[in-house]
Amino acid sequence: MTDATSPISTAKAPAGWLGRLEGSWSWIALGLVGLLLPLLDDSYFGVIAQRAYIYWILSAGLNLVVGYAGQIAIGWVAMLTLGAYTTAALAAGRVGGVEWHPYLALIAGGAMGAVFGVIVGLPALRLRTFYFAMTTLGFATIVTQVALAWKDVTGGGVGTPGPVFLWPFEPGWGFYYFCFLLAALATWITANIGSSRYGRALVAIRDAEVAAEASGIAKPKLLILVFLLAGGLGGIAGGLFSSLQSYITPDAFTFEMSVLFFIGILIGGRGSILGPALGTIILTVLPEFAAPLVQWSTFLYAALLLVIVLVIPGGIADLLDYKNRRPLEQHREIVPRPELLSRVLGAKGEPSAIRLANIALHFGGVRAIDGLDLEIRSGEVHGLIGPNGSGKTTTLNVISGYYRPKTGSLKLDGADLPFDKPHARAGYRIARTFQTPRLVGAASVLANVMIGGTVRGDGTFVESMLSLPRHHNDEKQLKVAALKALATVGLESLADVRADRLQHSELRFMEIARALMLRPAFMLLDEPAAGLSAEEIRRLGALIKAISREGTGVLLVEHHADLIFDICDRVTVLNLGKTLAAGTPAEIRSHREVVSAYLGA
Amino acid sequence: MLQSIVSYGLAVGAVYALIGITYNVMFSASRVFSFTAGMLGMLGGVLGALFINKLGMNAVLAFLLVLAAGAVLGVITEILTVRPVLKSIEQHLYVLSTLAFALMIQQVVAIYWGTEAQPFPVLVPIDPNSALSIIDQKIWLPVLACIVTIVGLELLYRRTLIGRAFLAIAEDSYAARALGLPETQLRIASYAIAGMIGVLAGFTGAQMLLAYFGNQAILNFYGFVPVALGGMGSNRGAVVGGLALGLFQQAANFLVGGIFASVAVFAVFIVVLLLRPEGLAGAAAARRV
Amino acid sequence: MPVSRRQVLAGSAVSAAALASGFPAPAIAQNEPIKIGYLPALTGPSSSTGVGINRGTQLAVELVNKEGGIKGRKIELISRDTQSDPTKAVNAVAELTQRAKASMIWGPLNSGEALAATPLIARDKVPMLHPCWVDSLIDVKKYPMSFRIAPTNTQVGKGANHYVVNVLKLKKVAVISDTTGYGTDSVNTYVPMLKAMGAEVVYTNHIDAANPDLKPELLRMQSAGAQAIMPWSVNAGFLSRICNTRGAMNWDVPIVGQTTLGSGQTKALLEKPEYWNKVYSNNFRNCCYIGGKLPPRAAEFVERLKKDKVEFGDTLLWWVALGWDGAMMMAETFKNAGTKNDDIVAYMNKVKGWPGIYGTVTWTPEQHNGFPDQEVVMCEVNSLKDGAFNIAPGYSS
Repeated sequence: MTDATSPISTAKAPAGWLGRLEGSWSWIALGLVGLLLPLLDDSYFGVIAQRAYIYWILSAGLNLVVGYAGQIAIGWVAMLTLGAYTTAALAAGRVGGVEWHPYLALIAGGAMGAVFGVIVGLPALRLRTFYFAMTTLGFATIVTQVALAWKDVTGGGVGTPGPVFLWPFEPGWGFYYFCFLLAALATWITANIGSSRYGRALVAIRDAEVAAEASGIAKPKLLILVFLLAGGLGGIAGGLFSSLQSYITPDAFTFEMSVLFFIGILIGGRGSILGPALGTIILTVLPEFAAPLVQWSTFLYAALLLVIVLVIPGGIADLLDYKNRRPLEQHREIVPRPELLSRVLGAKGEPSAIRLANIALHFGGVRAIDGLDLEIRSGEVHGLIGPNGSGKTTTLNVISGYYRPKTGSLKLDGADLPFDKPHARAGYRIARTFQTPRLVGAASVLANVMIGGTVRGDGTFVESMLSLPRHHNDEKQLKVAALKALATVGLESLADVRADRLQHSELRFMEIARALMLRPAFMLLDEPAAGLSAEEIRRLGALIKAISREGTGVLLVEHHADLIFDICDRVTVLNLGKTLAAGTPAEIRSHREVVSAYLGA
Repeated sequence: MLQSIVSYGLAVGAVYALIGITYNVMFSASRVFSFTAGMLGMLGGVLGALFINKLGMNAVLAFLLVLAAGAVLGVITEILTVRPVLKSIEQHLYVLSTLAFALMIQQVVAIYWGTEAQPFPVLVPIDPNSALSIIDQKIWLPVLACIVTIVGLELLYRRTLIGRAFLAIAEDSYAARALGLPETQLRIASYAIAGMIGVLAGFTGAQMLLAYFGNQAILNFYGFVPVALGGMGSNRGAVVGGLALGLFQQAANFLVGGIFASVAVFAVFIVVLLLRPEGLAGAAAARRV
Repeated sequence: MPVSRRQVLAGSAVSAAALASGFPAPAIAQNEPIKIGYLPALTGPSSSTGVGINRGTQLAVELVNKEGGIKGRKIELISRDTQSDPTKAVNAVAELTQRAKASMIWGPLNSGEALAATPLIARDKVPMLHPCWVDSLIDVKKYPMSFRIAPTNTQVGKGANHYVVNVLKLKKVAVISDTTGYGTDSVNTYVPMLKAMGAEVVYTNHIDAANPDLKPELLRMQSAGAQAIMPWSVNAGFLSRICNTRGAMNWDVPIVGQTTLGSGQTKALLEKPEYWNKVYSNNFRNCCYIGGKLPPRAAEFVERLKKDKVEFGDTLLWWVALGWDGAMMMAETFKNAGTKNDDIVAYMNKVKGWPGIYGTVTWTPEQHNGFPDQEVVMCEVNSLKDGAFNIAPGYSS
């Protein structure tokens, strides 16, 4: 172990994979190429580059939806269509007879995209992935059909001329710089989101939805904001597209184009900004140099998509990620430092308690819990043991809001805790871990832990988007807190490592660090010792005990009887959903039925 | 007039229902919705027309070959696009892998078969003067195929041991594996069956829908609507949903006509899904903690 | 051409103005080829027409080059397959006009791509020749360098309307289309024209081309008293279904409409060959059999093609003729006017009665639609022989 003495390593600022400007040199190089391209004075390059910028403006937003949040919105070309027709129709005076200023029309196109981004996105909040994919696909078809039919506004099949932007962004290199600037802006704001707590929350929704909820991330609210942004960017891209094309007809908005956006993002890599940007550029430029293959282009795109999904799901971003290919130290040891806990958890609060009274819950005909009473008090470790299927994890899920019991009450200091709202538990500072660790494998350990503190930020989505001071403040504090939490559980040397490279035991401690980010008043641990060595279990026990001594109430679901009896203040034994026995470890140890039925001693 | 709506509605609905069953059979075996369902439907027509019209094969032989091709494609789908991403089913990569595979096949068809719709032969010539001539092949063939398929599947699932094994996998693949059921083999078998049902839909419906590469997208969407309506995994639901969709679509075609029919279908689809994501007949999914 | 960075950054007004004014092209060596930018749709949907036209264009260019080219300079056809995709067409226009510095542009053929390409080509001040029928592509004020060597959609519709109303003397007409842009716009344009001619449009609708059952549509037309069906679509499946349904209903009205009615694909989809009787599609007088014989120019052309062993089984005479005419027209322009854009336009503005295989072309400074109305005729679709059809009954020969 290195550097075990310094409590928090501040020597090097660990760059999380998430939204860090993956080596800003790449962006600087791209920006320079973009700025200087007009020097070549080759308008053909200019047109191709404008197209790449426009497609990227859309893809940048879509990247948050697809790459970050993992929502498979296949038909996002619909936003391009909507933005293009809105901008073109308004600028041409097809609506209300007034010719809008092209720039105003472009803004209207963006607004239209944003509105429909949310409308199309709404089903994602309720529907399964494939259903959502189908609805976006259907929507894209419908938009084209409406464009054909609504002749007064869209010109029907004959289409409508695109707007011509006026000084300073008139056609030619002026428009080129307009597209370039907007593409840069789109990159900047989506990168800001990507590297903020919102970006981490999106990835958590994608890869570890349950953990995201337990960390207090409200999926609907966040997704709506993202759909709004992605739709708006798609609409702006559409407005620019209509100007680049000079004339738009419904046949310009093909399904192939939608597939292209999609593949560009996946080639780039999910959860990256640079990768998808490169992917989009490559897919826009490549066909121009492979003219003889034009007939096969869709086939090749599809083949590429298949290869990426099967062989390099991480895309370009993974290929560029040299750092995470360096071998890790082989014999690592987790040495928690409970003495740091006071700095992680803050001051002790008032004593409080969670009380379950007469909770009963059925799955089909099976009684999972059958009239359970339980009290978790702050400052104590409460053990919950029992054979498989006795209702331990179910109890934990009731407390953390995943299950609504049929009868009974769940109160925190006398007030009812709402059911069916797992993401609301974070607000009560009730944290938990999971039987199978829930992690964002492609994110760094640090980022995974920071997810636990998502609700602690003050900055709004817009503040993060524009990189305003409160956003920076949040990020700084979250990072410091996460590093503290990691140091406490003994993982700070692995902060920069991709979480999926960790060993199983390390993931257990990482989940505890993530739970600590809530400064929890209560912490529910679901078999944290499973798969740990004896020495690791001992250290875990000490850590849990120390957590409780800082004033946190701990509910510990465990099979390891030794651990339970070592650290618990009180123990409840479940059998068939009922309390078999409850009391101090000493009482339980001598309880006749428990001994014969469960401890088997 | 009404007769036209009903007969065509049922025929088109039967094709949709069969595609819906194709989705379901694959879903039951793997929890995967595959974009290859529409592709299979499209290929049923194209391969049938290729074998009979272009290569001059006997219709029965051609039919058997098409079924075999469907089974092979089903197996390829499983091996190439489903199995590799099953481990990480939470990430829904199967949506992309099956879409990619379906698009590749569609493009090959577009290039070698052409992008124009081509005719599909009449398989059972009926004397136009006989009493039977009122029921056109394009009407009764898909309906018959749908009946045979649903009855066959019910018998397979309820009456045979292997069918029960399929059901066990669909209920709880983890437990089924623990019981020693060969999950992988059963999944491959399911994909082969789904492949056959998919091409059957296309083959029997091709006189109506023609041998046309664009049918893929149409069948992908309209074949999925019955699944959404009937509840995923429910074959009976798919049949009811498919027939209802076919009748609704034909009625809308007839009453409002043109593009408004497709807008109407889409609107109904979205509204039903938003109100009852589990389908009109399906049960809510369990939590995943 | 050196451009300082300052110039670029000073605002693109400079560079745009530079482009617009067309810097004097460097003196071209006498033997350098003359470039024609060519935008066919050779693959992808609706490419069969493009393939046919391409055959004629390639032949003509080969011939011109074999005979020594234009004053010793060969013609170079720089072709970019657009696949009928407007985005590909826009990219290709930039490449052909600005990178390749083509002297003229030939194409594109399909409406979406032509609508997008035309303003851009006009902006770059490159003369262009249109095979596409969309009316709005020709506008001497907006696009002073665009000329059309083919009929407009209005002329095509007028030809069909004329046949139904004046030749067949039918007054009650059903006009339908598929839901594509081409189809819907045709209906919207032709219905008022029919009414102006005194016909009664008893039924009109846009129908989803994928709809397998057209019987309800035809029944409604029948009950509305239609005496002729005029379908506007390029979808062979849709058109064949109209013929099939009409045949199955034993409804003996003529079907009069777009050229695709007579395509091989439509034929292949007919349930019975006789369902193609009384179906009349657009065609062009110069490429039709009149009294069993092709007009002299076309006959001579076919002889030449037969000598060159060009197959007709899979294409149509008028497609090949159109491709040939386009290339020949450009070659003749280069021969007489050189390759400067203003000279080209000045020359083309004065073309009068140019005897093409496909049509007799006349342009004036005010009118860049060069195809004469009277050469748009209807033909009997079931009379296809060597890529050409019999002119429909009723026309004076």
